[in-house]
Amino acid sequence: MRQAGTYSGMLAVMSGKNVPHSLPLARIKKIMKKSGNDVKMISGEAPIVFSKACELFIEELTRRSWMMTLKGKRRTLHKDDVASAIAATDIFDFLVNLIDDNGREVEGGFGRRGEPTS
Amino acid sequence: MVDKVSFSSVVVEGDKFTLEGFRGGGDDVVNEALILREQDRLLPIANIGRLMKRILPPNAKISKEAKETMQECVSEFISFVTGEASEKCQREKRKTVNGDDICLALSSLGFDDFVEPLMRYLARYRETESERSGGQNKSDSP
Repeated sequence: MRQAGTYSGMLAVMSGKNVPHSLPLARIKKIMKKSGNDVKMISGEAPIVFSKACELFIEELTRRSWMMTLKGKRRTLHKDDVASAIAATDIFDFLVNLIDDNGREVEGGFGRRGEPTS
Repeated sequence: MVDKVSFSSVVVEGDKFTLEGFRGGGDDVVNEALILREQDRLLPIANIGRLMKRILPPNAKISKEAKETMQECVSEFISFVTGEASEKCQREKRKTVNGDDICLALSSLGFDDFVEPLMRYLARYRETESERSGGQNKSDSP
């Protein structure tokens, strides 16, 4: 069942018209280039694929984090829930550097902008 | 525009650095130009918040810190997958990372569930693009 606007929205997006994607393509491309892997050229479709992949990633991590929130009988998703979800999921092992063993933030990890880590 | 500047030290704080003992040019202008800005390495928090909200129940709340954490995770995800895709291209002596490379990288990194929806998305994009440009594909960019 197709939701009104979804398919035509996607077509407009993919045809390069000025319809906003969920995530800004230029920024995605910047992050790809800065990934320090000596990335030379990036095809036009790569950021588009990533914008969708990032959506799926956010959904997956959010879903798992929310399970932690519910475990704690809360209705507000906190960063500790995200940390717990990362620790509990194999495919998120690459994110483990951003948290320490106790699920708290390490220096230069999630702590930033002068906010205290807790 | 500033031609030459000198400074005595660099102070690194998180993801920003500032020049100390700086001489030459307007302080603000050069400092601003050289400071690594968060908005360059992170996706916008508003977009991310919206995507998170989309899959949560209507009464769910998300802390600002959780959204910031998600920002960091997404950027890390992009770097991680790009690295894998880029390595493969280098091994195969190809210069351009394309959509298929991203899909293959996702699969080898354990995100195979993403691959099917992505391949469908990519196929429709390519179809639309070739219809639009009369069969010519010229979308590589440095």
